[in-house]
Amino acid sequence: MPLTRNRLNLFLSLACLVGYGWLALVSRLKPEEVGSKYDVCLIRHFAHIPCPSCGSTRSVMSLMHGDLAGGLYWNPLGFVIFAALIIIPFWISYDLILKKDSLFRFFGLFENTLRKKWVAILAIVLILLNWAWNIVKGV
Amino acid sequence: MDAQNVDMFLMANSKYLEGHQMFQIRERLLAMDEPNWRMLQFMQFDDPVIILIVSLVTGPLAVDRFMLGDIGLGVIKLITCGGFGIWMLVDWVMIMGITRRKNTEKLMMALY
Repeated sequence: MPLTRNRLNLFLSLACLVGYGWLALVSRLKPEEVGSKYDVCLIRHFAHIPCPSCGSTRSVMSLMHGDLAGGLYWNPLGFVIFAALIIIPFWISYDLILKKDSLFRFFGLFENTLRKKWVAILAIVLILLNWAWNIVKGV
Repeated sequence: MDAQNVDMFLMANSKYLEGHQMFQIRERLLAMDEPNWRMLQFMQFDDPVIILIVSLVTGPLAVDRFMLGDIGLGVIKLITCGGFGIWMLVDWVMIMGITRRKNTEKLMMALY
């Protein structure tokens, strides 16, 4: 099925719901307890090394408590997820109410930007560096 | 194009394309002119088996999605540990079909 505006909105809404549900599930824990209590990453589970996005939940939880340094330490990708979880529900609501497709167009623009060679190389290098940092930290 | 060439093209590329679209593709290929037909010979399709292997090996890293050109979905899959592992498992089942669909869309765009 090709990705249309409605499918993207539905997919992102579900992703945000799962994200909020996940945060509600782990909210009673301290950020540093999440990794040991709930292990959802299959790479870490089977290969015993963290993946590039391991620590994102702890990062988002730290940011929810206003701990920017903690958020940066656990995983800088947490900032992206934190911002997405706040912005996307409002953006989808705005598009639905005003019958616009601004999020869908932004998604296309984001994809086209990442298709540029130098942007893609920069993104891959940053992800690999973040992955290496995750492995060194042992999150 | 003549039917023999079209059938040979379809036989050579059938594993890359969706089976239920074959009749429609054949009709379009038969109506195609020589210069466009030559261009079509150089078209490259993603191999569903290769994409499946990539998906199995690098699941949570979303390399399979990036290879198929789903950059946005790939980023989401990457930063969510392969969608908490669930999306990764779903992709293991679906990715060959998705690859064939993408290949068929690519061919259809060239045909129309």
